[in-house]
Amino acid sequence: MNGFADHGLDEDAFGEKGGSSIVKAFDAFPKAKPQYITRTSGGGKWTVVMLAISLFLITSEFTRWWRGHESHTFAVEKGVGHNLQINLDIVLKMACKDIHINVQDAAGDRILAGEMLKRDATNWAQWVDSKGMHGLGKDAQGRVVTGEGWHEHEEGFGEEHVHDIVAAAGGGRRAKFGKTPRVRGGPKEGDSCRMFGSLDVNKVQGDFHITARGHGYQEWGAEHLDHSVSELSFGAFYPSLLNPLDRTISATPNHFHKFQYFLSVVPTVYTVDGATPYSGHTIFTNQYAVTEQSHMVGDRQVPGIFFKYDIEPMLLTVEESRDSFLRFMVKVINVFSGVIVAGHWGFTLTEWAIQVLGRRRRQVSEGVLTGKAHENDD
Amino acid sequence: MPPKSRFTRLDAFTKTVDEARVRTTSGGIVTIASLLIVLYLALGEWTEYRKVVVHPELIVDKGRGEKMEIHLNITFPKIPCELLTLDVMDVSGEQQVGVIHGVSKVRLLPADEGGHVIDIKALDLHSDEDKAQHLDPEYCGECYGATPPQNAQKAGCCNTCEEVREAYATASWAFGRGENVEQCEREHYAERLDSQRKEGCRIEGGLRVNKVVGNFHIAPGRSFSNGNMHVHDLNNYFDTPVQGGHVFSHTIHQLRFGPQLPEEITKKMSSKSLPWTNHHLNPLDDTEQITQDPAYNFMYFVKVVSTSYLPLGWDKEMYGLHSGQDNVGIGSYGHLNDGSVETHQYSVTSHRRSLNGGDDAAEGHKEKIHARGGIPGVFFSYDISPMKVINREERSKTLTGFLTGLCAIVGGP
Repeated sequence: MNGFADHGLDEDAFGEKGGSSIVKAFDAFPKAKPQYITRTSGGGKWTVVMLAISLFLITSEFTRWWRGHESHTFAVEKGVGHNLQINLDIVLKMACKDIHINVQDAAGDRILAGEMLKRDATNWAQWVDSKGMHGLGKDAQGRVVTGEGWHEHEEGFGEEHVHDIVAAAGGGRRAKFGKTPRVRGGPKEGDSCRMFGSLDVNKVQGDFHITARGHGYQEWGAEHLDHSVSELSFGAFYPSLLNPLDRTISATPNHFHKFQYFLSVVPTVYTVDGATPYSGHTIFTNQYAVTEQSHMVGDRQVPGIFFKYDIEPMLLTVEESRDSFLRFMVKVINVFSGVIVAGHWGFTLTEWAIQVLGRRRRQVSEGVLTGKAHENDD
Repeated sequence: MPPKSRFTRLDAFTKTVDEARVRTTSGGIVTIASLLIVLYLALGEWTEYRKVVVHPELIVDKGRGEKMEIHLNITFPKIPCELLTLDVMDVSGEQQVGVIHGVSKVRLLPADEGGHVIDIKALDLHSDEDKAQHLDPEYCGECYGATPPQNAQKAGCCNTCEEVREAYATASWAFGRGENVEQCEREHYAERLDSQRKEGCRIEGGLRVNKVVGNFHIAPGRSFSNGNMHVHDLNNYFDTPVQGGHVFSHTIHQLRFGPQLPEEITKKMSSKSLPWTNHHLNPLDDTEQITQDPAYNFMYFVKVVSTSYLPLGWDKEMYGLHSGQDNVGIGSYGHLNDGSVETHQYSVTSHRRSLNGGDDAAEGHKEKIHARGGIPGVFFSYDISPMKVINREERSKTLTGFLTGLCAIVGGP
């Protein structure tokens, strides 16, 4: 393939052959009669090198196409919102009956979250040393996460690719919270309480608080506000997506302590194009940013754990898509023909250089290499 | 053949001498087919070059001291205009001062009589209306123990029914229907009120507010400040001879912050690949809320995001030249003379509750306990997002990009 369609438009490609078929006259790829073709070893080497180069380029092109690309877009969320689901799984070092859990929001509603969450007695030691537990802003080994060397393609939820996130979310299966393990060791009736479940709150700014019963100053003895969050997420429950507060642990030696978490919830849509091998999927979820503040409080203030959340108006869309196969083929052909043409140029140039230097004086029929190359790419 | 020059060797377009050529039918077919493909692709390239795309950008809004226009058009089929008031407040609960507005109340026939328009009256935000001039210049109406309003026609007197109502409102007294109040009986206040009892009302128009967190609400009765409380005189709303009472069922025909983008622009901005795009659609348009309970409160939590729209060929130098925006009339704010449009999008959450509190068992959330008390009405509280969306019109390809693409297409096959 000598690459040039315009070659076919050359005057002499059309002329003189009036007698034969009209279609024949359009042949843009006139082939030289075999007796005029010479094959040279120089040309052969060039062909091999060019083939290698184009193979390399096409491979890289293919991997790029196969991986697809991710686009991040944003939009103001449409539609009239009503409810927002909160999924919570938290262990407190307190007896279950002493815990008060409530949501107060900007609409003036009070949501008795305690009625919606399941409570199970458990032992603190069973949770605190389990795998992956870490403080907020620290990794599992207790080192502070500075964000330095942060993975460039980190997409949130600890996954690198959108299709991983979508796959982790699991195609629409109804997820359930895991069972509380049987109480082992320690006191038989358990020294801690695990509360878990999902509840619907109004989709407005709100405050989720966990306090001790009656803020019971007097009767407080052994209770602490030590807590470990296994899951805190907004929107549909996808247990395997990792949120910033998941598997974090906060402990305090004080009895009167106030933990405050400020959360900004960003609605997010992850979508994977149907053209990718991961089959088209879209998940609606929410990411959040969180900052934590905790301090000791005096007698006048209420100790507890407070999650203040607010919902951002911007909806993030992360889309993974891939070009169609046709488009990819066009690209491959482009690369291939480009390489061939460039190779032809290179070959001509070297031949010319050699001739000018006077080392070789041999007539080389031009166009031979290209003819050969054309045979090769078929 | 022409004599060989040094450049002959460099000829990239080598030609086989004609005698050496073989032309085959299959080769011809391939040529024609590839020509067609090239034409088709080139055409596609051309249309892509001509296409104008809208490219959204997200920045932090750095504007200062800006204003924002709220355009609303809401129908209340079961409340007469006489009873409705519109209040605009800022974050601290103070009534906003210097609000330019052009809101009118449209009296509507009852729904079972067709709901047609009776008349349209411009609404004054915090003010007095239709003063009946008394004949006697020496007349000084009694205020029935309340402090006379400061802006009364005659200092220290309550010469009109309106002024008596104002005085009562200032003193935080309920006014009711004005029985035994001479001024009101003379003006037939009660009769006028009763005759309108079955009517509906539409509130339409726009108002310009400072771009800060705030709220506006439509509630029955006159509003007044009682200490730090914002209070409405609800007597006339609850004591009604109308069957079923007045209810705050309403239809929002339109609620937007800033100018509406022209139709052709929204069409251009809508992309079919994503159902959630940045084109300007107001989520609350054509929402209807129905209740049978007079003591019912509707709330809308609105988050406003500034959005500007820059047309093709918009130039940075021209930006900032628009001045005098503060003086333009309601409705034209935001349309700048360089063709760009400054407007706002919003996301919204709605919430409804009975003033009697109770839980949300009807909607399957028995754990949700509503607050008690408050004012019946429709409340909008808006919050301003720090982000700003810029929608910029652009050609999807430059001329050189187009030419490159064309060459690639022709070269490829």
